[in-house]
Amino acid sequence: MNSKPLRSHAQPLVVYALLLLGVVIVIVPLMWAAAASFTPNHKVFEYAYPFSWRALFPVDFTLEAYDNLFDRGFGRAVGNTFFLAIATVIIGGAVNALAGFAFGRFEFRGKNALFLTIVMLTFMVPVDLTAIPRYILVNSFGWINTWQGLLIPGLANSLVIFLFRQFFAEIPQELIDAARVDGATWLRVLVSIILPISKPVLVAAALLMFISQWNAFFWPLLIAPTKEMRVVQVEISLAIGQYGTVWNELLAGSMIAAIVPILLVIPFQRYYVQAITGTGLE
Amino acid sequence: MMRARQQIIPYLFLLPALLLLVVFNLMPTIATLFESMFVISLRSGERVFAGFANYNRIFNDPIFWKSFQVTVVFSLLVNPIQIALALGLAVLINQRAPGIGIFRSIYLLPIAVSLNVTAIVWGLMLDQNSGMINGILLQLGIPRQPFLHSVDQALWSIIVIASWIGVPLWSLFILAGLQNIPPPVLEAAKIDGANAWQSFTKITLPLLRRVLAFVLVADTVANFLMFAPILLLTSGGPRLSTNLIMYETYRRGFLYGDLGASAAMLSVMLVIVFIIVGIELYALRGRD
Amino acid sequence: MLLRKLLLVTMLLGIFAILLAPASAQDEPTTITWLTLGWPTEAIIEEFEARNPDVSVEAEQVGFNDLFAQIQVRLGAGSEVPDVISVDVPLVSGYAFRNWLLPLDPVFTGDEVEDWLPAAIDAGSYEGTLYAAPVSTSTQLLFYNKGCFDRAGLMPPGADDRLTWEEIAEIAQQMTFDDDGDGTPDVWGFIWEQMVRIYQLQALPESLGGSAIGDDGMTVDGVINSPEWIEAYTYYYNMFNVWNAAPQGEEFWPADIFETGNICMFVGGPWNIPRFANNADLDIEWGVSRHPYFADGVPATPTGSWHIGVNANTENVDAATRFVHFISTGEGAEIWWRRGSGDFPAQQSVLALFATEEEFDALPMSYMRTAADEATVNPRPRAVTVGFLEYEQILQNIFQDIRNGADVEESLNLAVQRIDSEMAKYR
Repeated sequence: MNSKPLRSHAQPLVVYALLLLGVVIVIVPLMWAAAASFTPNHKVFEYAYPFSWRALFPVDFTLEAYDNLFDRGFGRAVGNTFFLAIATVIIGGAVNALAGFAFGRFEFRGKNALFLTIVMLTFMVPVDLTAIPRYILVNSFGWINTWQGLLIPGLANSLVIFLFRQFFAEIPQELIDAARVDGATWLRVLVSIILPISKPVLVAAALLMFISQWNAFFWPLLIAPTKEMRVVQVEISLAIGQYGTVWNELLAGSMIAAIVPILLVIPFQRYYVQAITGTGLE
Repeated sequence: MMRARQQIIPYLFLLPALLLLVVFNLMPTIATLFESMFVISLRSGERVFAGFANYNRIFNDPIFWKSFQVTVVFSLLVNPIQIALALGLAVLINQRAPGIGIFRSIYLLPIAVSLNVTAIVWGLMLDQNSGMINGILLQLGIPRQPFLHSVDQALWSIIVIASWIGVPLWSLFILAGLQNIPPPVLEAAKIDGANAWQSFTKITLPLLRRVLAFVLVADTVANFLMFAPILLLTSGGPRLSTNLIMYETYRRGFLYGDLGASAAMLSVMLVIVFIIVGIELYALRGRD
Repeated sequence: MLLRKLLLVTMLLGIFAILLAPASAQDEPTTITWLTLGWPTEAIIEEFEARNPDVSVEAEQVGFNDLFAQIQVRLGAGSEVPDVISVDVPLVSGYAFRNWLLPLDPVFTGDEVEDWLPAAIDAGSYEGTLYAAPVSTSTQLLFYNKGCFDRAGLMPPGADDRLTWEEIAEIAQQMTFDDDGDGTPDVWGFIWEQMVRIYQLQALPESLGGSAIGDDGMTVDGVINSPEWIEAYTYYYNMFNVWNAAPQGEEFWPADIFETGNICMFVGGPWNIPRFANNADLDIEWGVSRHPYFADGVPATPTGSWHIGVNANTENVDAATRFVHFISTGEGAEIWWRRGSGDFPAQQSVLALFATEEEFDALPMSYMRTAADEATVNPRPRAVTVGFLEYEQILQNIFQDIRNGADVEESLNLAVQRIDSEMAKYR
C-alpha cells in the first residue's frame, strides 16, 4: 500500500501521535465500563481510585451481571429493539431519502417554505418535550403497547432528511441528465444513480436512524413499558433502584447496548475506503 | 439546479415523510407551544386563555434568566469546540496511512454508546472520591478535583461528556464530505505549488461548505436540545451552574406539571435557535 | 384540552384510518396495568389472579428516577392507562389536587383502615379523603461498624440506645482515618444514606422544633430559612466541610462502602438489615441503634413509603380497586411484604409478625424488631403540600450544594426563592 499521505503533508509521526491520543480518550472509558461489567458489584470501583491498570481489565472476573440481566429478560429487550431499529432503518431510510431527494434535486413551489416550516422546525424541537400531545394522539389511535406506537412516530427523521438534502445536492448534474436522456424515471435515477454513489452518507444516515431507535428511552417507556415490549434502554434503567444502583448490571446492559451498533458499523466502515478507490484514482 | 417539468413528482416524494412529520412532530409541537398561551387550573383541569401571562412569568423569573445565561455560555463554548475538533479528527482519519481503518473503527465507538450511558459512565469516572480521573490525577501528583460539584468545573465537565460523543459523530459526516471531494482537484492544487494549509483552506474547506453547514446547524441544535446529562448527573447544579434552559423546560413541564411556563420557555428557545440557525445557514449559503 | 383534541384527532383520523389497524380486541379477563417500580411483582400478581380469575394484571415497571415523569405525562394527558399506580406517599396531595386519583374510602372497611398506621392514613389522604392506600412504611436506624469503635477505643451503642447528633459528630471525627496519608480520609466517620434527600434530612430541623412547611402547605419563607433550619443544616454543613467526617462529591449508596469498611456509621433504612445479614462475604461486624436526635431537641425519625392508587380515568374501576384492596390489606399485604418489595409493611397486623416470626429471633435479623418499633415511635412524615415534588427536588439541589461547601443561609434563601416561584402556579 502506498503510505504517502495524499490529503496533506502532515508528518506520519505527528499523525500517529494524535491518532493514539484520541484512541486513549475513546477507549479508556469503554474499557473501564467493560471491565466493571465483568466485576462483582461491590468491587466495581476498587481499582479506579487510586488508579491502577487493573481498573481496565476484569481481574475479578464474573459473569454475574450478565447472568442476572438475561435472567430478567434482557435478551428479549435486545430482540425487540433490534427489530425496531432495523425496521426504522429500512422504512425510515426510504421515506427520508425520497424527501431528501425532492429537497435536494428539485425546484418546486413551496420548497423553501415546506423545508423551513416542517423539516427545520421539527428538527429544532426536542421530541421528548412534545411528548404529551403525541401521547394523546397515539393513545387516540389505540397504539399504546403496540409495535406501531413504538415504530411509526420515529420513522420520519428531519435530521436525516436534511443530511440527504445536503449530500444529494452535491451530485454532478451530468450524471442525472445522462440517465434522464436514457428515459429513466426519477425513482430510477434515485435508486440506480444517486444511491450507489452516496454510500458514505447512506451509512451515516443508517447509523443515525439505527442509533436513534436503538437508544430510544423516553418514548418507549411511555408507550410500551410492559415486560413483553421493553426496549434495551428501558431495561438498563431498571438497574437504578430506589435503594441503590446495581452498577455492574447497569454497565453490562450498556455494553450490550453499545456492542450491537458497533458490530453493525464496523463492516460498513469499508464503504469509506470504497468511496476513495471508486473514484478511480488508483 | 434542475427545473422538473413534472411538478407532481417532488410532492409525491415528499408526501410520506412530510405527512409523518406533520402528524407526529409538527402537530405535537404546535399543540405544546399553544399551551404557552394558557393557564390550566391545576385543580379543575380548566384551561383559561392567558395571553402572555406565562411569558411574563418566566421573564420575571430569575431562575429563567440564570438558565438563559448558562445556555448562552454553554453554546458559545461547546459548538466551536466540537466543530473544530470534529474537523480535525475527520482530516486526521482521512489520511492515507497504514492501519487507518482500525483507527476509524475505534473512533466510531462512542457514536454507538447512548448519551445516557455516556453520561453515567463519565459521571462515575469524574467522581470526586472514587472516580478514575481523580485516580489518574493522584498518580500524577495532582490534587483531586471536584469536577461536577464545582461551580467552575461542572459546565466544562458537561462539555467534555457531550463532546465525547459529539466530536466522533460530527466528524463522521465531515469525513463523508471529505471523501466526496474528487482527488484530482487536490492533486491539481499540489501541482500548482499550494502547501497543505493553503490547499486545505482554499480548496478543501470551500468544497465542504454544504457538509459544514449541515454539521454546524445540526450540532448547534443538538446542543441546544441536550439535557440528558444534566438530568442524570447534576440536576442543574451546583448552584444552577449547569441549569440549561432545555433542562429547566423539561423539569417545569414533566416533573412539576407547569406546562404553561414550560411551553413558554420552549417557544423562547425555539425563536433563538431559529435565529442562530438562520445566521449560520446565511453565512454558509451557496454562492452558486 | 378539548381544542387540542379537536385539532389533533379530527383532522387526522381520516388519513390515518388507512394506515392503522386498531389492535384492541377485548380478551376474556379484564387486563389492568400497574405502573410500579422494579420490585418482584410475580408473586403478588399470581396470588391475586388466583383469587380473581376474571382479572389479569400487567406490571409496567420503570426505574425510580423515571416514575415521576411517567405519571406526570400519562395522567396529565388524561390517559385511561395505567389503571393502578404505585405512589410515593408525599406526592399523594399533588396527585389528588390534580384529580388524578380515585377516592378510595368506600373500598375499605373500618377494620382495614384501623389496621393501617395512623401516620400512613394521614399521608395517603388529601383534605380528609383517602386517595392512596398504604402499602409500606419506612423508618431509619443508625448502622455502625464495630471495628471502627474498637479502633477509636470507643464503646458502640446498644440497639435501643439513641445517640445525640452532638455525640455522632464527636464519634464520627474520631472514626475518620487517613491511612494512606494523601490528605483525604480512606475511612469516613459518618453519612446519611440518602445524603441529599429531604426524606432523611428533614429529621434534623424537626428535632430542633422546626417545621417542614407553612401551615397552608405552600409557604416556605420563614420556615425553611428559620433559625432551626439554619442551625440544623449548619450541623450538616460542618459534618462535610468543617469536621470532614463525611465524604463530599457525588451521591452514592453508603451501604456499598459500609460493606467494604470505608464508612463507620450511617443513618439508613431497615432494608439494609437483610442485605448485610445475607451477605456471606461481609467481613465486618456491625450493629444498629435508634435514630439520633439533637440534645436540646426531641427525637424525630423519618417515615413514609409507597402507597397505591387508582387512576381516576381508568375504564376498569372494579378490577383496579380490587387489586389495590388486595395488596394493601390482610393476606395480600403479607404476601407483598414477604415476597414482594420487602419494605416495611404499613399494616399493624403485618408489622406484628416481626415479633412472632422465628426468623427475627436471632441477631442480626432481630434488628428488624428494633426497626419495627422505631417505625411506630416519633415518626415524622414529610411535608404535606401539593407541590411536594418541586419542594423535594429543589431542596435536593440545595443540600447537594451545602454538602459541597455552599453557604447555608444563602442556600436556604435561594431554596425559598426557587420554591416560591414554583408554588405560584398552585395559588
